[in-house]
Amino acid sequence: MVGSNKNNKRRLAVRYVLATLLLLVMVYPYLYMVLNSFADWSQVDRQLLPSQYSLQSYEWLLTGGEVGIARPWTNAFLNSVIVSVASTFLMMLFGIMVAYALSKMKFRGRDTVNNFVLFHMFFPAIILLIPNFLIIQKLGLYDTYWAMIIPKAVSLWAIFMYTNFFKAIPDAFIEAAKLDGASDFKILYKIMVPMSKSITAVIFLFLLMERWTELLWDMIVARSDNMLTLNVLLSQMFGPYGSYPGPLYAASVLLTAPIIILFIIFGKKFKEGMQFSLK
Amino acid sequence: MIDKRNDKLGWIFSSPYLIFGLVFFLGPLVWSLYLSFTDWDLIAPEYDYVGLDNFLKAMATPGVQAAFWVTYKFMIIFVPLVTAMSLAVAVVIQGLPRFKSVYLIGFFLPYLSSGVVASLIVQGFLSYNSPVNEFLRGTFGIQIDWLGSPLSALFIVGLILAWKFTGYYALILTSGLESIDQEIYEAAAIDGVSDRQRFWKITLPLLYPALYTTLILSFGVTLGIFTEVYQLTGGGPNFATNTWQMEIFNQAFTNLQAGYASAIAILASLVTFISIFAIRKVLEMWGKRNGWV
Repeated sequence: MVGSNKNNKRRLAVRYVLATLLLLVMVYPYLYMVLNSFADWSQVDRQLLPSQYSLQSYEWLLTGGEVGIARPWTNAFLNSVIVSVASTFLMMLFGIMVAYALSKMKFRGRDTVNNFVLFHMFFPAIILLIPNFLIIQKLGLYDTYWAMIIPKAVSLWAIFMYTNFFKAIPDAFIEAAKLDGASDFKILYKIMVPMSKSITAVIFLFLLMERWTELLWDMIVARSDNMLTLNVLLSQMFGPYGSYPGPLYAASVLLTAPIIILFIIFGKKFKEGMQFSLK
Repeated sequence: MIDKRNDKLGWIFSSPYLIFGLVFFLGPLVWSLYLSFTDWDLIAPEYDYVGLDNFLKAMATPGVQAAFWVTYKFMIIFVPLVTAMSLAVAVVIQGLPRFKSVYLIGFFLPYLSSGVVASLIVQGFLSYNSPVNEFLRGTFGIQIDWLGSPLSALFIVGLILAWKFTGYYALILTSGLESIDQEIYEAAAIDGVSDRQRFWKITLPLLYPALYTTLILSFGVTLGIFTEVYQLTGGGPNFATNTWQMEIFNQAFTNLQAGYASAIAILASLVTFISIFAIRKVLEMWGKRNGWV
C-alpha cells in the first residue's frame, strides 16, 4: 500500500507539470500579444521576448492614427461598448421575458411558439445575412448604432437556456406569489430573476463575448469611420498598419482585456452556472 | 386555468420574440428565396426573374465548389485536433485536488478572444521577419510561406480554431469524466482490468454523452468559419480556404451580386442542414452500436 501511495503522488505531480505546460502553451499567444503591445516598435514581431519596452503603442492608440476622424481607436472602443452593452442588455431582457412565457405561463399557442423558437434556432443563419442587411437598409438604419443593436436584440440561445432553467423552478413559488396578488412582471422580477443568478452570469458572459467580437455583421452595416466598432477597425487596419503593427497589439489588448476582466469578476457565479448548463 | 387574460399576457411576454422572428427571420427567409431567382445587383431599381440560372451558375463556379469541399477539409483537420487537445486537457485536469478551477479558467481564456485578435497574433508570429521564420531560415535555410500554401493555410486556420475552443470543450469533458463513479474503476482494478480495456470499456462509454456534445459543437464550428479566413487568407490561396461564408460575403458585398449570393446562401444552408443531420445520425449510430446510449 505504501508503494502505491508513493506511486499516486508521483502520478499527481506529473499531472500538475503536464497541466502547467499545456496551460503555458495555450496562454502563450496572449502573452505574445501583451509583450508586443509594450515592445519598442523596432522589436514588434521580431523577438520571442522583446528586450526593449515602451508605451509608444498605447500613446498612439490614445492620440494618433487619424483616419478621417481624430482618435479613431478610442472612438471605436466607445462604439463597441455602446453597441455591445445595449445589445446584450436587450438579449437578456427579452430572453427572460420570452422564456418566462414559454415555461411558466399557460396560453393558447404556446407550443406553437416553442416549436417555432426551436426551428429558428436550428436554422442555418447564413441564409439571413443578405436579406437582413437589406431590411436594415430599407428601415433607414444603415450606418447607425441601431443597425448593430436591433438585429442582435434577441438571442434564441438565451431564450432556450432560460426556458430550461425556469422549467426547473417549482410552480409552487409562482402560485404562492399569485395568491398574494403579485403580477407576472413582479414574479419575474422578484422571484425568477434572483433565482437564476448563476445561469444569468453564464448567459451574460457568453452573449457579451459573442457580441463584442462580432465581425461580419458589424462590418457590413457600418461604413463611416466614426461608426466602426473596435473589432472592425482592428480588422480594417491589418493592411495599413502592416509595417508598424505595434498599435494593433495595443488595440488587441484593449479589445481582449475587458472580457477577461469580466470573466474573472464573474468567475465564481460562472462556474456554478456552467455546472447547471452542463447537466 | 386558461382564460382570455392569460392568453393576452402570454402573447405580450412572447411579443419581443414574435416581432423579431417575423422581421429578422420569416420575412428575410421568404425574401431570400425570392431574390435567389433574380439577377439583382443591390443597386439597380429594376431586375429580372432568371429562374434557376443562379443556382446552375453557382454550382459550376470554382468558388462555390471550393466552399463545399473546404468545409469538410476543415472538419477533417479541426474536429480530431480539438477533440484530442480538449481530451488531453480534461484527462490531465480532472479530479486534481488543488487549483483545478485556476487551470480550467486558464484554459478557457482563449475562448474569449476575438477571431480578429487571434489572426493578428498568428500573422505577426508567422511574418517574414518573425523569430520563428528567422530561426527556420538561419538554421535550416528554409522559408515557409505559411499562409500561401493550401495545406498549411488550412492547418493554421484549423489550429487557431482549436486553440480557441479547446478550453471550452475541456470544461464539458472534465465534468463528464468527473461524473464517472470512482468505484467503477476500483471494482475494475480488483478484477484486473488492463488500462486499454479500462479506457474502451469504462471511460469511453460513460464519457459518450459529453463527447457527443463536444463533437456536435465542433462540427458546427466548421460550418461557420469566416473571421480567421477573411483576415488571414481571404479564402486563398486559389480558394483553398474559401468557406461558404467567405464566398457569400464576396459575392454579396464585394461583387454586389445580391440575387446570385442569395442562391449560394440557400445552397449553403441546404448543405449545412444535411451535413449536421448526417453527422448526428452517424454519431448516434456509433453510440448505439456499441451500446453506450
